[in-house]
Amino acid sequence: MERYDVAVVGGGTSGLTALRQLSNLGKQAVLLEAGGTTGTKNVSGGILYSKKPKNGRVYNIEDVFGREFIDEAPYERAITQYILHATSKDKLYSIDLTPVHEYQINYAYSVLLSKLIPWLAKEASDMSEKMGGGIISGVHVRSVRWDKDSNDTVIETDELEPFRVKAVISADGANSELADVTGARNKFSSEQLYQGVKVVIRLPETILEERFNITNDEGAAHLFAGDVTMNHIGGGFLYTNRDTISLGAVYHMDSMMVNPVEPSRLIDALIQNKLVAEFIKDRVPTRKSNQALISKDEEIRQHFMAVKLLKAWNNLRSDYFSNDGIKRLIESGKYKTKEEIESRINNLEKELVEKYNCEFGDNYVELEYSARLIPDGKRCRMKTPYYKNILFVGDAAGRGVFIGPRIEGLNVGIDDAVRAANAVARSLDRNNFDQQYLGNFYTKSVEESPYTRDMKEIDKDYLKIFLDCSKNIPKDIVGSRYGMIFKLMSSGTLRGIAVGFANMLGFDRLLPLVESVDTYVNVPVELADRLGKPIDSNYVPNTPSLQERIAKLDYDDDSVSHIQVTKPRSDFMQKMVSLCPTRCYSSENGDVILQHEGCIECGTCAYETLWRHPRGVKGVSYKYG
Amino acid sequence: MNDATQNLESDSENLGKAEPYQHLYVVIEHEEGIPVPVSLEMLGEARRLMDNFNKKYSSNEKVVAVVLGDNVRHLCEDLIKFGADAVVYANNPSLKHYTNLLYTKIICQIVEDKNVARSISPNRSENYKKPRYMFFSADNTGRHLSSTVLAQLESGLASDINKLVISDLEIRHEHKTKGQLAKYEKTLEMYRPDFSGFLWTTILCLDNRNPAIARDYHPQSCSIIPGVFEPLTKEDQRTGTIIDFEPQISDDDLRVKVLSRSIIKSTIDFESCKIIVSYGRGIRDSPEENFKLIEQFAKSLNAEIGISLPISKKPYQTKDQRLLSYMIPERVIGTSGRKVSPVVYIAIGISGAVQHLAGMKESGFVVVINPDMDAAFRDECDLFIKGRMEQVLPVLTELIRKHMLTIEKRA
Amino acid sequence: MGRYDCMPVRPLNVGVIVKLEPDFSEGNVSYNPDGTLNRAETKNILGPHSAAATLAAFYCKVKYDARVAIGTMGPPIANQALQQAQIISNADELHLYSDRIFAGADTLATAEVLRLGVSRMNNGLGADIVISGHRASDGETGQTGPQTAWKLGYPFIGNVIDFHIDQESRSIHAKRFISLYGFYDVIEEIRAPLPVFISADPSYKPSFNTVSERLSLARNLNEARSKADNYEKYLQVYNSEGLGADPKFVGLPGSPTIVYKVEKIPKAKAKRRVEFIDGNDTAQLDTVAKKLLKLMTEAPIK
Repeated sequence: MERYDVAVVGGGTSGLTALRQLSNLGKQAVLLEAGGTTGTKNVSGGILYSKKPKNGRVYNIEDVFGREFIDEAPYERAITQYILHATSKDKLYSIDLTPVHEYQINYAYSVLLSKLIPWLAKEASDMSEKMGGGIISGVHVRSVRWDKDSNDTVIETDELEPFRVKAVISADGANSELADVTGARNKFSSEQLYQGVKVVIRLPETILEERFNITNDEGAAHLFAGDVTMNHIGGGFLYTNRDTISLGAVYHMDSMMVNPVEPSRLIDALIQNKLVAEFIKDRVPTRKSNQALISKDEEIRQHFMAVKLLKAWNNLRSDYFSNDGIKRLIESGKYKTKEEIESRINNLEKELVEKYNCEFGDNYVELEYSARLIPDGKRCRMKTPYYKNILFVGDAAGRGVFIGPRIEGLNVGIDDAVRAANAVARSLDRNNFDQQYLGNFYTKSVEESPYTRDMKEIDKDYLKIFLDCSKNIPKDIVGSRYGMIFKLMSSGTLRGIAVGFANMLGFDRLLPLVESVDTYVNVPVELADRLGKPIDSNYVPNTPSLQERIAKLDYDDDSVSHIQVTKPRSDFMQKMVSLCPTRCYSSENGDVILQHEGCIECGTCAYETLWRHPRGVKGVSYKYG
Repeated sequence: MNDATQNLESDSENLGKAEPYQHLYVVIEHEEGIPVPVSLEMLGEARRLMDNFNKKYSSNEKVVAVVLGDNVRHLCEDLIKFGADAVVYANNPSLKHYTNLLYTKIICQIVEDKNVARSISPNRSENYKKPRYMFFSADNTGRHLSSTVLAQLESGLASDINKLVISDLEIRHEHKTKGQLAKYEKTLEMYRPDFSGFLWTTILCLDNRNPAIARDYHPQSCSIIPGVFEPLTKEDQRTGTIIDFEPQISDDDLRVKVLSRSIIKSTIDFESCKIIVSYGRGIRDSPEENFKLIEQFAKSLNAEIGISLPISKKPYQTKDQRLLSYMIPERVIGTSGRKVSPVVYIAIGISGAVQHLAGMKESGFVVVINPDMDAAFRDECDLFIKGRMEQVLPVLTELIRKHMLTIEKRA
Repeated sequence: MGRYDCMPVRPLNVGVIVKLEPDFSEGNVSYNPDGTLNRAETKNILGPHSAAATLAAFYCKVKYDARVAIGTMGPPIANQALQQAQIISNADELHLYSDRIFAGADTLATAEVLRLGVSRMNNGLGADIVISGHRASDGETGQTGPQTAWKLGYPFIGNVIDFHIDQESRSIHAKRFISLYGFYDVIEEIRAPLPVFISADPSYKPSFNTVSERLSLARNLNEARSKADNYEKYLQVYNSEGLGADPKFVGLPGSPTIVYKVEKIPKAKAKRRVEFIDGNDTAQLDTVAKKLLKLMTEAPIK
């Protein structure tokens, strides 16, 4: 059997950070990722933060990957605006939360993981190869076992022969199979999870910058609460990427269980909000069916020609509406002036309209639909995030910071990964992988992280900034619901005491008060109704059907299902018929049956099924992530 | 050598100049003595072509089947009944299964063997060099075998042919005729559909008449697509001759060894089916009864049965073994199953999900039977029969049977 | 008194025959008004079956540290096929066989050029195993591989879905997939001494089953990308003289077959125009029955 020092399971931001950190410390490690290549199975909201807490320290991604990350990595935009909108029909009340967003940060970048992760993977694997390790993709880790005789840890996968390691770092996400198979923790229940669903929308670069009033170096984040949530606890988000937009919604899964609505429809509700509709609008072609009587041959020829012209129009327009596209085109010699390019675009449009039955009008362009589960660190972080010599990081350990408008997952996983890598490196040096030496050490390190503190208690300074931003909200709207508490929190002197008291009581007592339909729906709706400004939008976005969204995704379906229904008649499973983002469940004569083709592996149904990831390479592959 | 030679010769032929290239050799593919369907189809077409050839050119060239194998003489006898004038049979244990190296060598030995030629036509074989024409099957084996045989014989090969004509042509070609108009008699026109499916390309194998590059190119050869031509009906009275051939096999020829052969559980053969009948969740009201109707309908059309993806998940509780045996992934048509392109595709009780359509949109003629006019399938079919399968299928099956009988009576 | 504990293993030389073909994907392919391919407006790429063959060579590189050479016969733009093949296989040597007199060649004449090229691969050592694709997407004959093999004197093994090389006995152990239409499918296991010529079945996918093989795979993939960026460094161009070709046996002069004519096939595939039938009307169903039988008995043109 082959032998290696460390196995890292999962090639997301956390896993790759662990691999790179281990390599930085001169250690050999092999990273195993189930996707065909790294980055095909990762989805993020998403914004990546780098933080500088006042007390304590966290490890940021540039601490591991170096300054190169900031200079060269393909993240999207630096987010410099953070605005919360309360919505009610076509009225919006907006609160600028940028100071809240900038609390203790070095920077915040919007990201598309399918693009970012391959860069991280290259940086990590280059280093790792020097240490005799590397990244292996297309491999699904099935389980870990401990050999009684040799005391070796053996990794079993679907694709490779088993091999031995000394320690494991489990970065395999919210639906961690290692956590499940070893019994290290229970599966997360719906009270402990958020379901996130999103779409990536195309918007040419300069149009986007003008629309959001940002420059090349800036980016905007918009959050939404109110009627767009369709009565669920949580909110919508819109982040500007380079020339796309990430638009999505994150809701408490238990509020989804109480009031099940298909995730696809939740996205549609967001899209139909007038401000959002205006944000994402672009000039979009549609091809009408041919009314004229033409021969079948001619129909085919026209089809191919139209497709080609549309492709040319899209490409040229992308270049025209990008910051350096026009320059590039002129330098290439194809065009002499900006006007020439513009005129060519118009000519293509004209030709498409006149000869190929095309129409150009207002709509938006959806590129990719995705969904994932997010563990709420406040409710389900693992108190001892290890099992024997397996260390759990990030989502796999149920860790993430989610407080009101503060949404941080990626950076928490990265911090955990560094701590885990450091702990493992220490153990390798002493050849000691006992619980005491490895697991406990790691647990202590993670407890010291400021992120863990944020998962346990309210940060009063953060609260102050949040309240300052919201000072214009009429007291009566909020006061009528939270009365005393609000008064206490608003007063500078009393806040410290109040927060101390609150922290003594514990998050769990407070949370149901704060994270409620009132907070996320009723208050914002009232705000918008009373004080909001109406937004005008002259078009209705044409949202694709779920079938069309799924048709755009890339699948390599396995013939055998990776999920098995064990309780076909339970309440939970009945709800899955609505809550599966890709409608893989249907009800037939009272039993819930599964059609696994189309599964995007979010894990919404994991709690009451035998849930595994697909075999290596199989399943969905994201292009944006 | 053999007694039946008299049967092969007739007196009224023009003995004239004995030609160097004669006869149509058909390389027969078989599995342990059972001919694969295309072998009989090739033989049928060979027979038709040579009958016309002999009539047109007043000659007496033969259709010669070539069989390599181990103890498969009964096959040779059958081939005569299916149209072969002569069968050359090389019998040897090493020939039990096809290996390219050995088969190529022996087939070339056979087709260039003057003794064999003499057995086929005793009076006209003094100048015999090679066959005039050669047929192979256009399947895994035949495509490769034909390539290497023709490389050895240094002549021309056209593959995947679905139409053949023998004619005299006047050709002007820069290289072959040095730009002059030349007459090429008894040329085999070989038609093949191109990659787009729109065009028929005609390939010819022609001698170089240009003195600078003078060369004879025979046999004119092709590999033939299965399922295109009709085999002849087996006639027990047909006579012919079996010629036993002793192959020359050296140790070196045997260096490629077949270690094992395993037959894969027979896949449902959608490929050679002209009609496929598929069903979906429309059967849900009474799965067992509806399935029986579908089965009978498919039988009347000699069609294979496919299913939509949800059916493979066995969504209905049933004890009907037959129904259960059809609800398997191997029968699924769609992106996660098979892609088919039959002449006729009939979808019963299927709504027309995108992933199902992707599996059958290349079909020639699409018929949909569905009570729901809003089914997605309506935009992707040629014929939409609005109705419930319980009503439509029995009537349609009956009508088909009735018309079938009329056709058979007429034939 | 020396004793060799491990004999140095003779390196494995691999040759691959590839073809540059039109890209048939939508958005890239262009058709003329008469439905024929508009080659001028259609992009060219390494053919998909050639890519499968290249993958098989890559397998040898990763698993056996083989030396890989890739060759193609074509006009100067066929370079692109070689570059793409290098990305897939981390090839060490690229050959372009290009000469005006090679034009118009049918498979026999092409095979003649290729067999001369193969013997010059790998610094003149030739190849212990030559790999070709199942067929080309445009020509689609599938003949060139076997004919090249025959001219080289190598046994041809087609439809290979899996193989490994026993370097000690210098032999190949291969699995073939044979579809017998109207019968069943067969998987055959074959053993033969090197040198051999194999064609990769279109479904061929190499599998690497240990961690060390996968790591070697990742390293080779990275190396391949940087090599292919400078592919000219690895490129050798041969004309007819360079190959020592006899002009009578290559190009049009060396081709037994010619394309005589090209015609439209009567039935064209097109978007469907639906006709509605009332399922309760027996008379209408009767016309359907008759139509079905008519279609059934017509000779299929596939």
